Parts: sequence; structure tokens; C-alpha cells
Amino acid sequence: MNPIVPILFLGLLAFGFAAFSILAGSLSGPKRYSRVKLDAYECGIEPTPQPIGGGRFPVKYYLTAMLFILFDIEIVFLYPWAVAFDQLAIFGLIEMLLFILTLGVAYAYVWRRGGLEWD
Amino acid sequence: MIELLAATPQTSTGEAVAFWCLAPIAVGAAVMILLSRKAVHSALWMATTMIVLAVLFIMQGGIFLGVVQVVVYTGAVMMLFLFVLMLVGVDASDSFVETLRAQRVAGILLGAGFGVLLMAAVSRATFPEAVGVGAANDAAGGHVEAIAEAIFTRYVFTFEVVSIVLITAAVGAMALTHKERLTPRRPQPEQSVDRIRSAHPTPHPSPGVYAQHNAVDTPALLPDGTASEASVPDELRRQGTVRYTELEAANRRADEDGERE
Amino acid sequence: MRLELSVTDALAETPWWLSAIKAVVIFGFLVVSTLVMIWAERRVVARMQQRVGPNRVGPFGLLQGLADGIKLALKEDIIPTAADKAIFILAPIISATTCFLAFAVIPFGPVVSVFGQETALQLTDFSVSVLYVLAVTSVGVYGLVLAGWSSGSTYPLLGGLRSSAQVISYEIAMGLSFVAVFLYSGSMSTSEIVSSQDRLWFAIILLPSFLIYVVSMVGETNRAPFDLPEAEGELVGGFHTEYSSLKFALFFLAEYINMFTVAALATTLFLGGWQAPWPLGGAIWAGANDGWWPVLWFVAKLWIFMFMFIWLRGTLPRMRYDQFMKFGWKVLIPLSLLWIAIVATVRAVSNEASIDRQDILIWGGVALAVLLVVSIVWDYVSGRELEQPDDIDKPFDPFGGGHPVPPLPGQQAVAVAVVASPSNADSEVLDA
Repeated sequence: MNPIVPILFLGLLAFGFAAFSILAGSLSGPKRYSRVKLDAYECGIEPTPQPIGGGRFPVKYYLTAMLFILFDIEIVFLYPWAVAFDQLAIFGLIEMLLFILTLGVAYAYVWRRGGLEWD
Repeated sequence: MIELLAATPQTSTGEAVAFWCLAPIAVGAAVMILLSRKAVHSALWMATTMIVLAVLFIMQGGIFLGVVQVVVYTGAVMMLFLFVLMLVGVDASDSFVETLRAQRVAGILLGAGFGVLLMAAVSRATFPEAVGVGAANDAAGGHVEAIAEAIFTRYVFTFEVVSIVLITAAVGAMALTHKERLTPRRPQPEQSVDRIRSAHPTPHPSPGVYAQHNAVDTPALLPDGTASEASVPDELRRQGTVRYTELEAANRRADEDGERE
Repeated sequence: MRLELSVTDALAETPWWLSAIKAVVIFGFLVVSTLVMIWAERRVVARMQQRVGPNRVGPFGLLQGLADGIKLALKEDIIPTAADKAIFILAPIISATTCFLAFAVIPFGPVVSVFGQETALQLTDFSVSVLYVLAVTSVGVYGLVLAGWSSGSTYPLLGGLRSSAQVISYEIAMGLSFVAVFLYSGSMSTSEIVSSQDRLWFAIILLPSFLIYVVSMVGETNRAPFDLPEAEGELVGGFHTEYSSLKFALFFLAEYINMFTVAALATTLFLGGWQAPWPLGGAIWAGANDGWWPVLWFVAKLWIFMFMFIWLRGTLPRMRYDQFMKFGWKVLIPLSLLWIAIVATVRAVSNEASIDRQDILIWGGVALAVLLVVSIVWDYVSGRELEQPDDIDKPFDPFGGGHPVPPLPGQQAVAVAVVASPSNADSEVLDA
């Protein structure tokens, strides 16, 4: 049997449970409509009107996501390298150290420019 | 295209069934990327396409590729995409105003042309006799080992180039998004010292709690009956959405009238 | 003695109905564990805070989790007007589905015989199991970010962004901490990683990896002291502010199951998985690693981590967001990379030059010890001691800074005459 198939079992079970819960939740609870209750929650004040375009976000998150992708790709390369490390021997070690160092340049640059600061 | 990457020289029945079940979902989700009005919905359809492609890879025996597809594409790229959407605007949706004349016609023509080119290229390509993933894996002593051997010996130069491409990505992201600090950062100890030295070292009074309102936008009343401005957030005062009690509102109106006269 | 089949073969030959039963059992195990964990957490935290904790529903309050669940089901299900309805409903489904999936590759025990069928006590296993767990987690982040976005409200949006930024930052440190384990086990399959720890746990030989993993797993699951997305003073409830009823319950469930997942992963990768702890396995009791006993060891190790989660919550205050991100990006990630480089170099050198790895370790340890001694001596010689304020001996004027401040321990306050006269104070009040 394909090793993926059992995951589908578990996934279907979990999905079914979640879908059932949501359905049950919408049926079992009381329903008392009130406009104020369906407003966005902002500690009781009138919800701040969203500016045109729906409000924007600090561009900082973009940088974090980009750095995440960088390191994610590094991790994806590191895993097969680690698994096959003994076959690749010294050659594998040197090329991976080079790779980490090159990425380290990017990392050092971002650090030096203050891209990792949050405030 | 995917059929050509088949795991075994012949496509097995299970594989064919999986392909014909999943491929329509992938294509349908891809079409929905184009048809969705809201940018976030498009992003979600794209994630669906990516996951379905990953499942297809796994069904073909490329389990590493499939899982990496989920990690990198669905996880990382889509997260980036969502963040970008949030930069563009949380609720941003497509505008259907044509800003360039004949843009739509040109777009359709170019798209069709590219499709024809792609199909021509793929259909004329010659593929070597497939040996099957199983045979290739056995030769290297395992699935992951086989991939590692390919990446780290045969394609080692490409692998190193990837790191340089990644540097470009980091520098680009910094150039686009980084904002230098104009004023030095003030650490917490310094701020607390300043606060103690200031005229108002204690916390601000909490907002008012009354029968009608129980919220941060209602100022507290001082013993003499005036509203304490310090008890509502600055932001609300700037927006002008502070809610005064009736008496206080009347007083303020009277004050303003007095000033006008 | 061990059964004949290897894990991979046993899994390949497992009939579909047995896999289905295993899936149901894993599902049930996780749901029940969550209920127990909710109870345990509240009771233990209460004990740590000199309280009793919930003790009304069932014996020792054991059914508290269930009662909470029923209560949530009877609450009104609110979908805010500003919400994007489809995604608002989809987000908890994504969270609650993906959190279960990671458990599919966790080995609970070795190959056993169930209904006359030999099978391994894990749902499935393949050559990239651990990478699969990372993939599932990264899909799970969607639940958070979409919940935040679709609520159409400010706090959830901020909370959702914060949690996703936090999860992805700590996922890197987490992913990097696995590399050394793969180096030593030569595989990404969970069952092989467990079997390669039959002599020594990776938590011992790869201690830095283990420590980095433990820190990042707390960050990854958004738990105290890293529970910034739920910093109620700043963001109310974070991404699930607008959620009520069973939709909220699903997020709650997902958070707890994610804790079980990271704890199970820690057990599998670093604490020898289902293998009996050191003195028990092999030496004292030959049968400790056979049959169904390993399930006990596995669950015990799992709960050690769960207790650690509770302990942390009862002990540590929440970190500040910028400090937290700084710690992840500037400390954990470079440390992991450095450690990977060290481990790989040591391994390559010992492989190539056929130097005994023990020698390298011993000399490395000696070098470290020498460094430590030198630094202590250096500190001693250069006369650096506990830093004291310079003016500790001078008499201290409580009103010196303009605002009354009590003296520090060891400081002598000068006697200050009461300046403000009663008449003065009265007139000030009247002025105000």
C-alpha cells in the first residue's frame, strides 16, 4: 500500500470532525441577532473604520517572509545533504559550508542594515 | 507533462486514476485564481493548486519532491504572497477598468501565443527512455540519497549558484522594504527613567465606566465633574471619536460657545 | 524477542482496515489527551499558584475539559458582519485538520502483532517523514493567518500576522535543529531515527540541537513565555478574537494538539522515541523494548514535555515581541548553523582520517574546559565583580530626582524635613 494512503484516512477523519463541529456549533447554540454583537470587537468602542484599500500592514512582515523563504530553501537543501552525508564525504562538507557561507553573506547584510530589528 | 514524468515506464492504473482525479482539481483551482475577485481568494486557490501538484508528485513516486513542494511553495511562497496582499491592502480586489487601450485583446493574443509556443516545445521534445523512479533510487541506495547525489555531485555548480540567487533575493527585499531609523532607538530603561522624571509618572487614569457606556472611548470623570482627557487613548482623541457624558458634552459646548463669543 | 518484519515491510503489508483502525486510535488518543491536558494544565498551574484549580466536574475535576467543550457547543456561533464568511469558516477547519496530520508519522512503538497481523505501531512512515511534519506545520499556519484576515477586525488581523511571523521564524530554527539528527541517523524516516538511538539518545550527543529544538518548539506552538499572539493586554485574543462556539473550540484543540505534535517529535528525534529509558532497556529488563511496553515509554516521555509546557507557563512572564524575534533570528539561527557546521566537520574528519570520534570529542571538551578556566581566571584577575552603582555608599536623597523614590538596599536615606505644609496642600487642591 502506498504510504500516503493512511494519511488520507487520518486527514478525512480530522476533516470530518472539524466540519461536523462547525455544523454542530452553528445548530446547537442560541441565535439572538443584534447588530452591535456582529460588529468587529474593539473593546467596546465603535469599530475603527477601515481606511480605503482595507488598511495596510507594516512592510516589515514582507522582509520576514522573504528571509523565511531563504532559510527554508537552505533547510530543504540541508536535509538530503545530511542524510547522504557519509556518501558525499569531504566534498559534500566543503560545498555545503560554501553554501552556508554564501547565504551567511545575505544574512550578515540584512543583520548589519538592521533588517532583523523589530520595534 | 506530468504523465511524462511517470514513475514507471508504463503508467499504472492507480496512477492514471489519481491523475485524472487530481488534474482537473489542479486546473480548476488554477482557473479560479484568475476568476476570483479578491486577491486573498486567488492566493488560496493557488495554494490548492500547489498542494494538488504535490500530491501528484507523491503519487508518481517523487515523495521528496512532493513534500518539498508543500514546504517551499505552499508554505513559504504563499505566506509571502499573503503578506504582500496585506501590503497592497487587506480587502483589495481587482479593478476591471481598462487603463491601457486594447490591453485585454493584447493580453489574450499574447497568452494564446505563449501557449502555442509552449505546446510546440513540449510536444517536440525528445525524452530518454524512462527507467522508473524505483530503479533510479535503488542505484543510489534510497530515494533521498539519490536526490542528494544528483544535487551535490552532478549539479553542484547549479546548487552553489542557487545560494547567490538567494543573496539577490535578500538584498532585493532589503532594498525594497527596509526603512532606516532616523532617530536612535530608546531602550526601555531610558523610557522608564524619562517617565518617572515627567510630570505624570503614574499610569493614566482608566476610562470611565457608566450605565450607558463601558468602553475605552469614554473618559473618566474627575472629582470636579470634568472629563479627564488623559484617560482615553491619544488615537481616539485624534480621530475625534471620544464619547463624553451628556453633562460634560453640554459643558464643552458651552465652553466652545463662550470662546466664540 | 523482536518480530521478524522491518518497520517498512510491516507497514507496507498492513491491510487498509488496520490502517483505518490505527487512524481512529490516533485521533481518539489525541482528542482524549487534549481533554486530559486541559485539566492537567489548569490543575498544575493552580498548584503552582497556590490555588486548588477545577475540582467540581467528575473525580478531581477530570471531566472539566469535556464540560468546557459542551458549554462551548451551547454558545452562540457568531460570524461578524465584516467577516469573509467562507474563509472565516475554512480557517478553523484548516487548523484542526492539519494538526492531526503530523501525528501520522510518529512511531508509538515497534512492530507488534494486532489481530494476527504484524504491523508497526505507527500509521505510516516514508523516507521523508520529518520533512512531511514540517510541510504539514507550514500549511497549518494558513489557519492562523486566514482566521486573522477573514475576521475583518483589527485585533485578529494583528494577532494573525504576529502568530504567523512568529511561527515561521521559529520554524527555521526548528528545521535547522533537525539537520544534526539526520547527519547521525542517516535517514529522515522516523522509525529509522528511533532505531538509530538504541544505544545513545540524540539528546545527549547532540545536546545543542536538542536545546534549540526545545526553545523553538515553544515558540512554534505560541505557548508561554512566547504566547505573544495572545498577549491579551495588547491584542485581546489574537487571531481568534472574533471566533466563538465550536469554531473557537477547534482553534483551542489545534493549539493543544500542536503541543502534542512538537512534544512527540522531540521524543522521537531526541529522546529515543518509544525505547525504554537508559537503565531499563536491555540491561535490567530484556523485554522492555518489545511488545506493547514501548507505548508506555513513549507516552511517558511525551508527558514530560507536556509538563514542561505547563511549568513554563506557570513560571515565566511573557517576552516582549521585539526581544522574541531578535532571539529567534539573531541567536537561535546562527547558533544552529554554527552547530551544524561543527557536527558535520567533526563527522567528516573522523570518517575520512579514521580518527576516533571519541578523541575529537575529548580534545574538544578539553579545549572548552581550558577556555572556561581561562575566562574565569581572566575575570578574577581583571577584578570584574558584580556591578554596583557608584553612589551606593553616598547618602541618598529620596526627593533628589523630583519624584519620591525609596532607597535601594544598602543605601542610607538622608532625613528629609517635610517640606509641604498643610496650608500649601490645601490651596493646591482648591486650585485644581
